[in-house]
Amino acid sequence: MRVTLAAVLLLLFNSVNAEFNTTSVNFDSQSITIALTQEPPQLNGMKATDQVSILVLSHIMEGLARYDRRGNIVPGVAERWEIDEKGATFWLRDNAVWSDGLPVTAHDFVFAWQNALDPATASEYAFILYPIKNGEAVNRGELAPSELGAYAEDDRTLRVEFSRPTGYFVNLTAFTTYFPVRRDFFESRGDRYAADAGDLLFNGPFKMTKWVHSASLKMVKNENYWDRENITLNAIDAQYITADTRARLNLFIDGKIVHTALDGETYKDALTQRFRIRRFTTGSVFFLEFNHRAHRVTRNLDLRRAIQHVFDPHEMVNKVLATPGNLPGESLFPVWLNGVDHKFRREYPAPIVQIDISRAKQYLAKAREELGLSKIPPLVLLASDSPTAAKQAEYLQGLLKAKLDLDIKIDIQTFKQRLAKMTAGDFDLVNAGWGPDFDDVMTFGDLFASWNLNNRGRYTNPDYDRLVRTAMNSAVPKIRMDAMGELQQLIVDDAIIVPQYEQGVIYLLHPRLKGVVRRVVGADPDYTYARVVQ
Amino acid sequence: MTDVTPTAEDFSPATSSISVEQISRPSLSYWQDAWIRLKKNTRAIISLYIVLSLAFFTLLGPIFWNVDPSLQDLNQISQAPSLPKTAVLVGQYQRWSGIVLEDFPAEPADYPDSVDAVTDLRPFELATTQQVRLVWNPVVGAAGYNIYRNQRLPENFNDLGLPLGSTYGGNEVSYEDRLSLESRPYYYAVVPTDGLDEYEVYTVIEVTPSMIITLAEASDRQLIKDANVAQTGTALKLEFHPFGTDYLGRDMLARLMQGARVSLFIGIVAPFIYVIMGIVYGGFAGYFGGTIDSLLMRFADFVVALPFLLFMILFKIAFGIGPGESGIFPMLIALVLLLWPATARLVRGQVLQIREQGYIEAARLLGAKPHYLILRHIIPNTMGVILVTLTFAVPAAIFTEAFLSFIGMGVAPPTPSWGSMCNEGVKTMLSHPHELIFPAVFISITVLAFNLLGDGLTEALDSRMRSRE
Repeated sequence: MRVTLAAVLLLLFNSVNAEFNTTSVNFDSQSITIALTQEPPQLNGMKATDQVSILVLSHIMEGLARYDRRGNIVPGVAERWEIDEKGATFWLRDNAVWSDGLPVTAHDFVFAWQNALDPATASEYAFILYPIKNGEAVNRGELAPSELGAYAEDDRTLRVEFSRPTGYFVNLTAFTTYFPVRRDFFESRGDRYAADAGDLLFNGPFKMTKWVHSASLKMVKNENYWDRENITLNAIDAQYITADTRARLNLFIDGKIVHTALDGETYKDALTQRFRIRRFTTGSVFFLEFNHRAHRVTRNLDLRRAIQHVFDPHEMVNKVLATPGNLPGESLFPVWLNGVDHKFRREYPAPIVQIDISRAKQYLAKAREELGLSKIPPLVLLASDSPTAAKQAEYLQGLLKAKLDLDIKIDIQTFKQRLAKMTAGDFDLVNAGWGPDFDDVMTFGDLFASWNLNNRGRYTNPDYDRLVRTAMNSAVPKIRMDAMGELQQLIVDDAIIVPQYEQGVIYLLHPRLKGVVRRVVGADPDYTYARVVQ
Repeated sequence: MTDVTPTAEDFSPATSSISVEQISRPSLSYWQDAWIRLKKNTRAIISLYIVLSLAFFTLLGPIFWNVDPSLQDLNQISQAPSLPKTAVLVGQYQRWSGIVLEDFPAEPADYPDSVDAVTDLRPFELATTQQVRLVWNPVVGAAGYNIYRNQRLPENFNDLGLPLGSTYGGNEVSYEDRLSLESRPYYYAVVPTDGLDEYEVYTVIEVTPSMIITLAEASDRQLIKDANVAQTGTALKLEFHPFGTDYLGRDMLARLMQGARVSLFIGIVAPFIYVIMGIVYGGFAGYFGGTIDSLLMRFADFVVALPFLLFMILFKIAFGIGPGESGIFPMLIALVLLLWPATARLVRGQVLQIREQGYIEAARLLGAKPHYLILRHIIPNTMGVILVTLTFAVPAAIFTEAFLSFIGMGVAPPTPSWGSMCNEGVKTMLSHPHELIFPAVFISITVLAFNLLGDGLTEALDSRMRSRE
C-alpha cells in the first residue's frame, strides 16, 4: 500500500514540476473547485453552529451588514443604520431581493430572529440574539416570540430595541444567526427547510444550485444579488468533501482544489513540492487557565504569580510550537480586535510580564507560607490529546520543575472529555483556548465573568464583573474600551490566566486565485470577492 | 632355560585394582558442561555480551553520563548527534519595536497594479540564533510586506518557503524572526502586499545566524560559574549531546539510559515471574495428572481468554493510578497474571511425556522420591522448553511495554521508556529521524540478543541434545 502511494505521489510530483496544470480554476468561466471538510450539517441559518455550515451560508445569504474584503463591517441588506444606547434602526435597500425576485423585507429579519429564539427551535447560538430586548426571556420560554424587541415599522425599516446598550450590535448582524428567513417560504417547506438546494431561498452573492449529500455541493453567482457588479466568480464548486489533510494535499497537488490547510506533518511535503505556503491567524487565543475553586492550591494568587513569572510566551511560540503563524500570547485580547479608532492592542498595549525567576521564587515561597505547606503538592495539568498539546504540556512540566521545582502530573484527555473535566473542576491547570463568536472585545472580555458558564476555572471577582458590566451597558466606544483596557490589566495583576499564544494556521492557495479572504469570524475562507487571474 | 628361584614375595596376594575405569578428563557438572557448549556458540556469546553491556548501560551508565534526562535545552531542540557546539555569550533579549518610517505613507493613496521589489534588504544587526532582525527600503504603493524564510535559495515566487509574518503598513519596513533559529544559512524573502494580496516580486537575502546563549541561560545550566564575572562576547562550549536531543532539547543518551531501566525491568522481571508460575503450575498439573490436571488446565484456558488491555486498564483503576502517574506497576501485574498459562501448558505437556519414560520408571523402582525425580530427571529435561519460553517471553514483554507506552498507557511524562520515545520520534520521523532510530535500534538489538542467547542456551542446556553431538 505504502509503495503504491509513494509511486502515485512521485507521478504527481513529476506532473506538477512540468507545469501546474489544473482544473481547479478556470479563467474564462471564472469558476473554482474547492473541498469542504465535511458535509454542511445544518444550513438552516437559525440553527447553524459549525464552521462548514457558516462558510456555505455566508456565501449564499446576507445579513443587515456584511464584511468587506478588508474585514470591515459594511452595509449589506441594510443600506444605512442609526444606533444609540436604546436601540438601532436599519433602513433596508430597495434592490435587496430573494433569489425568486421578491424583496427582502424587515419582516424577514423579525421572523428569523423570533424563530431562532423560540425554545422549540433549540438553537445553540440563540444567546447571540440576547442583546435584543426580551431575547433572553423569549429563549427561556417566559415570553412569546412576538414580544421580542424587534419590529418591522414598514417593509424597509427595521427597529431593534436593546436589552442593554450594545455598541457592537451592527457587527452581530453579519453573523449567520442574524440572517433573514422569509416566513411563507419557510412554512411551505416545513421540516424540509434547508434540507436540500431547492429548500432554501438565497439573498447572498451566490445561490446553491446542486447539493448531492455527502458528495458535492455547487454554488453559482446570484444574478439577483444587489451588489452583483462586484462579484467576479461565477461558480464555487465543492466537488470534494474530506477532512483528511493528506488527501486534501494530494487533491491540491493534483490541481483539483484551490485551497487546503496544512498541519505539522503535511507542511514539510508542501515545502519540498515548492508550493507557496500562506499564513493566517485564526483569532483564537490559547492560555493556561487556573482552577480558582476553593481548596485548590491554584486559588492562591502568589502561586499563580510565580507561574506567571517563569512562563515565556515567546519561547513557547518560537521553540515549542515552532510552526509559523502563531503569535506570542500577551493578553486575553488578540491583536486583531478593534478598539476605539485603531486596533485595541495598539490603544491599550498588553501589560508586559518580565520573566524573573528570582521574583517567581519569592512568590512561591510566599505562597507556601500562606498555604501552610512545606512543598506544593503535585499539580494536575489537563491537556488535549493532540500531538502539539502533549508537547506543550511536557514543556510546561519541564519548565515548572526546572525553575520552580513544582511537580506536574499531565492528564491527557480527548477534547470532549477535557471539557467535561474542566466543567467538573477536576484539574489544577489546564491548557485551554477560546475562539471569537463575533467581532468585538466582549467575545473575549466576559469569559471570566462570574456568570459565564465558560468560566470553567470558576474565577469570581466583583471588580472583573463590574468592568464587564460597564462595557456591556455602554454604547460609547471610549467607555467600553477603557473598561476592557482596565480588565486587561486586571487579568495580569490577578494572574487569572497566563496567555500562551494566538493560534496561527498555514495553508496553500492556488496562485491564480486572488482576493480570497481568511476571517477570524464568519465565513473562512471567504471566496465572495475572489477572482481568477490569467 | 633360566632357573627361577621363587621368593616369598611371589607368594603374597596380588594387589587388586580399586578403580575399575580410569577417568582421563576432569569431571564436569551439568552447568559446567552447558557453559562449555555455550562458549562454542559464537552468536550466543555475542548476544550474552550485548545483554551484559545493556545491563551495564542501564545500571552504571548514569554514573558515567550524569545528565538529567528530563532537562530541557531549548537552544538545542531536535539536534542530530554531533560534536559539542560553541556559542557566544550574550546579554538578555531586548525587545525591538522595529522600524516605522515617519515620512512614508502606511497606505498608498491608490493601489497600483504592480510595484517594484524592495531594495536594500539587510540584517539590522548581527544575526544570532536568538533573533534575526531585517530591514529594507520601502516600496511606493505597498501597504505592507510579507516575510518568508527558506532553507535553500528560492527558485521562483512560489518557492519562498515558510511564511513567517507580515507587516501592516507600507512604512513598516522591519521584521524580527525568532522562530526556531539554528546556526545555518537561511534565505529570507520580502514581498510587498496591498494589505491582503501580494505583488509577485520578491527580494532575497542569505543570513546565517551565529549560535548564541544568554548569560542567564548559561549560568542556569552551570556552563559558567558566575554570571557577573563572565564576559559577553566570549565563546562557550555548549552541552555535548552524543546521541542528539529530542523535540524539547532533552539529551537522548540520558533518556535512552533511563528508558532502558523501564523497558528492561518489565522485559526481565515480568517473564521471570510468570515463567516460574507457569513451571510450578504446569509441573503440578502434569505430574499428578487426572482430575487435578483437567481442572487446572481448564482454569488456564479461562485465563488465556481474558483480554490483556482491558485488564491493564482495570488494574490501573483498581490501584488508583491517577492521570499523569506511571502505569508500569499495573502493567507488571497484568503481564504476570495473564501470561503464565502459555508456559504452564508447555511444561505440563513435557511433564506428561517425561513421566512415562523408562528411566523415570527405573529410578522410581530404585526408590527415588518424587522430589528427586522432579529435580533430577523431569526439570532438567523440560529445561529446553522452559528456556525457549523464557527467551521468547523477554522480547515479547519488552514489545508489550513499548506498545503500551506507545499508546500512552505506560510511563507518565517526563519519564521515558523506549516505547514512548519511539512514539514521540515517529511524529518527526522525516525531519529528525534520530529521535525514532535510536530507541527503535535499542529495542531491536535487545530483542534480537535475548532471542539468540536463548537459542544458544537451549542448545547448551537441553540434556537430550548431548546425544546428538
